[in-house]
Amino acid sequence: MARTKGYPAALDKKLQDTKLYLDDSNPEFTKNVKAISRTNAHMCYQCGTCTGSCPSAPRSSYRIRLFMRRAVLGLENEALTDPDLWLCTTCYSCADRCPRDIIPTDVIMSMRNLAFKRDIIPVNFLKTVQAIYSSGHGVPNNDVNRAAREKIGLSRDPPTTHMFPEYIKGIQKILDHYKLKANADRIVKEREG
Amino acid sequence: MAEKKKTTTKKTETKKQDTKKVAPVKQEVKKQAKAAAGSTTEQKARVGVFICHCGTNIAGSMDLTAVEAYAKTVPNVAYVDNYKYMCSMPGQAVINKAIHDNKLTGVVVAACSPRLHEPTFRTATKEGGLNPFRFEMANIREQNSWVHMHDQEGSTDKAKDAIRIAVAKAALLQDLFPKAVPVEKAAIVVGAGVAGMQAALDLSAAGIKTYLVESDASIGGRMSQLDKTFPTLDCSQCILTPKMVDVGREPLIELFTWSEIHDVEGYIGNFDVTIKKKARGVITMAEAEAKGIVGGGCNGCGDCEAPCPVIKPNEFEMGMKPRKAIFINHPQVVPLLYTIDWDSCVKCGLCVTACGEKKAIDLEAKDEFVKVKVGTAILATGYELFPIEKKTEWGYKKFENVINGLEFERLICASGPTGGHLVRPSDGQTPKKVGFVLCAGSRDNTGIGKPYCSRFCCMYSLKHAHQIIEKIPGCTPYLFYMDIRSFGKAYEEFYYRIQDEGAKFIRGRVANILEDPKTKSLHVMTDDTLLNRPIDLEMDMVVLASAVQPSADTNRTRKLFGVSCSMDGWLLEAHPKLNPCGTTTAGVFLAGVCQGPKDIPDTVASAEGAASAASIPIHKGEVELEPYFATCIDEKCAGCGMCVNLCPYSALALVEKDGRTVMEVTEAKCKGCGTCGGFCPGGAIWMNHFATPQIVAQIDAFLLGGEQ
Repeated sequence: MARTKGYPAALDKKLQDTKLYLDDSNPEFTKNVKAISRTNAHMCYQCGTCTGSCPSAPRSSYRIRLFMRRAVLGLENEALTDPDLWLCTTCYSCADRCPRDIIPTDVIMSMRNLAFKRDIIPVNFLKTVQAIYSSGHGVPNNDVNRAAREKIGLSRDPPTTHMFPEYIKGIQKILDHYKLKANADRIVKEREG
Repeated sequence: MAEKKKTTTKKTETKKQDTKKVAPVKQEVKKQAKAAAGSTTEQKARVGVFICHCGTNIAGSMDLTAVEAYAKTVPNVAYVDNYKYMCSMPGQAVINKAIHDNKLTGVVVAACSPRLHEPTFRTATKEGGLNPFRFEMANIREQNSWVHMHDQEGSTDKAKDAIRIAVAKAALLQDLFPKAVPVEKAAIVVGAGVAGMQAALDLSAAGIKTYLVESDASIGGRMSQLDKTFPTLDCSQCILTPKMVDVGREPLIELFTWSEIHDVEGYIGNFDVTIKKKARGVITMAEAEAKGIVGGGCNGCGDCEAPCPVIKPNEFEMGMKPRKAIFINHPQVVPLLYTIDWDSCVKCGLCVTACGEKKAIDLEAKDEFVKVKVGTAILATGYELFPIEKKTEWGYKKFENVINGLEFERLICASGPTGGHLVRPSDGQTPKKVGFVLCAGSRDNTGIGKPYCSRFCCMYSLKHAHQIIEKIPGCTPYLFYMDIRSFGKAYEEFYYRIQDEGAKFIRGRVANILEDPKTKSLHVMTDDTLLNRPIDLEMDMVVLASAVQPSADTNRTRKLFGVSCSMDGWLLEAHPKLNPCGTTTAGVFLAGVCQGPKDIPDTVASAEGAASAASIPIHKGEVELEPYFATCIDEKCAGCGMCVNLCPYSALALVEKDGRTVMEVTEAKCKGCGTCGGFCPGGAIWMNHFATPQIVAQIDAFLLGGEQ
């Protein structure tokens, strides 16, 4: 029946078992996050100062406090498969105010690293990788910028790889060493064909 | 020889005999000193080694069988045994029996820290018939098994070293006899807040002369600034002022307000404390009478206040009310006595004229120093608020309508600057929405705030919420909290009541506060962690439940009394659970918040505990001092006197004896620090229990690894 289309599926979803079981936790995840982020990710006491400080939270479903909770409990799958992981702007307001002196931004960064190992990453992040590989910049210069720079008395291109393209090779060497470009190309191709 | 005498005495009588022995101590000690200095031992040392498992505390981290086997090979060891809990009655019986059966001359217990059980094992040694100072402890728990929990081999080796070193000393230990000194029947209490007042009242009720010293102009402390108290909602002044009046009236309490501790000398039973009476500029009626001014002295009439041209903020009212350069903080001060603030007084003399014939004001007054002798001391130096402006995100001192908890108390108090009407500092309007920020600066590990829980902020914020609901119809309190810690008697019930009255509780620590520059209202930003939604609530006023910290002068005062403090500045108790009022300095006790944050009931309980503890040595009349003093071997002393100036306790002097100049030790003053003994060029100073041969033997035992 067209009128009930989608309802049974939605109801099924609502009635799913959402309890937390011991199996859901991976203590290794907590340790890995702590090691990569180099901050006391396991010490969060859920006061909410981070989300209260977060410029992303009022505009999106991103809740940094929830990721901190997942770090404490080792909820690896839940953390790494949540698309919200990629909504952090890395402004570090949470890190400035956290009363437990944790750096929540770095916890998010470590989770992004772990997610990337599982090929979980939005394509726009990979396109940034490709842009850096080809130009040395995540956001390469464009004509509008060039005109604006000229207007305020700056050179058309900044004194970076834009002005000295011979150094792009060095950046490429670094990215190749970590196989970042190859992985980016591979995943983009898989997703976009 | 002394030992033989003792073994024949019955156990029950040993105690009595010890106190009788006090008189001939010196003679006996000298004899021993001479004997040891000549390095002849009259009897071969027979040391018993007793190894404690401490359940699994020690046994779980090292191979005790190997340790025991090793101990049997150490020179001078006559007997080795082990027991699961050496400190238990059966454990002590093992020591007792072994001393008798093996004719031991020294006892080594390898167990915990001497701070914990040295007294226990000394008693066991004594009950076994040996002098209690023939006991030595090898710490294989705190300094070994607990810190090397995962290094079985290393901890076993270290335990062997510790036992070998202890045996080396135990073999050379001598009989020592504690010295009893009389205790002055007086006590001093520093700080006259509710803790200090309660302690002073208890001590005086027990018949002890008590000096109560307060740095402020009036007694009463923080509690006198509060409007009401949780959870009973008693008016704070109403329950406190009777106590203040009692303190003022009690003949056994001598009150020193506007005074501070200047210097402390001596030891338990005999402290010499110098009190600095800061120049007050006003004399009491008694002082006037002593000066021969009939009917003179300050009677608190206040005639001086009106003509005074200087206006300053009143600290008691958190700077929200003016006062003059000659002032009383509030009408209920005890003693009712004006004080001159010299930093702002211009010495115009108008107050002197107004005072007239009473001649109470002396603009040339100087600080005075009073010396008192006391047996015990109680520190009750209290707290102050953490300067919450350091947490810049909440805008205290930047936004007018952000205030702290004590400012709220004054604003809601009927005798406060607004007559009890809570108003916004920016425009005098009555607020309709008031935010309370809990854990403001507490539970903060950033290094800016305080890592501890300040313990009473949850409850006073609940009380504040109640007060605004009661006083301002339609006003809603919003409490931003992480946890509501309502742990005390009837506290959780109070939480229930306040929630029922309509207070809103939002579980989220406040991230930041922004001010609307036009309305001066405040946007409180946080995360409602239970709804999982970031929130921005507009409040008319915000009260920060600021963390507390030790009062400013605490550190200086504690150093004078030789009391330690923890990392965050709170004074350190002798044991956090079993001796919370005592300190590691004998005769000095702690009361109230100076030891750590406490609400009023806990503060009063702590004060009564401290008063009880401080009265024990006084009622006993005498205390035993550890016999660790220095002694002079007259034959070796050249009378150079170099040690006399080195002694930090002024315990040494040069005297004429048999036609020669030699040094003499005042034993009660000597703390056994060893400065003189280490320095003496002729080796003429013998440090009891830490004598050079004993320490050298320990070092040799360690360095030579047991090979002689």
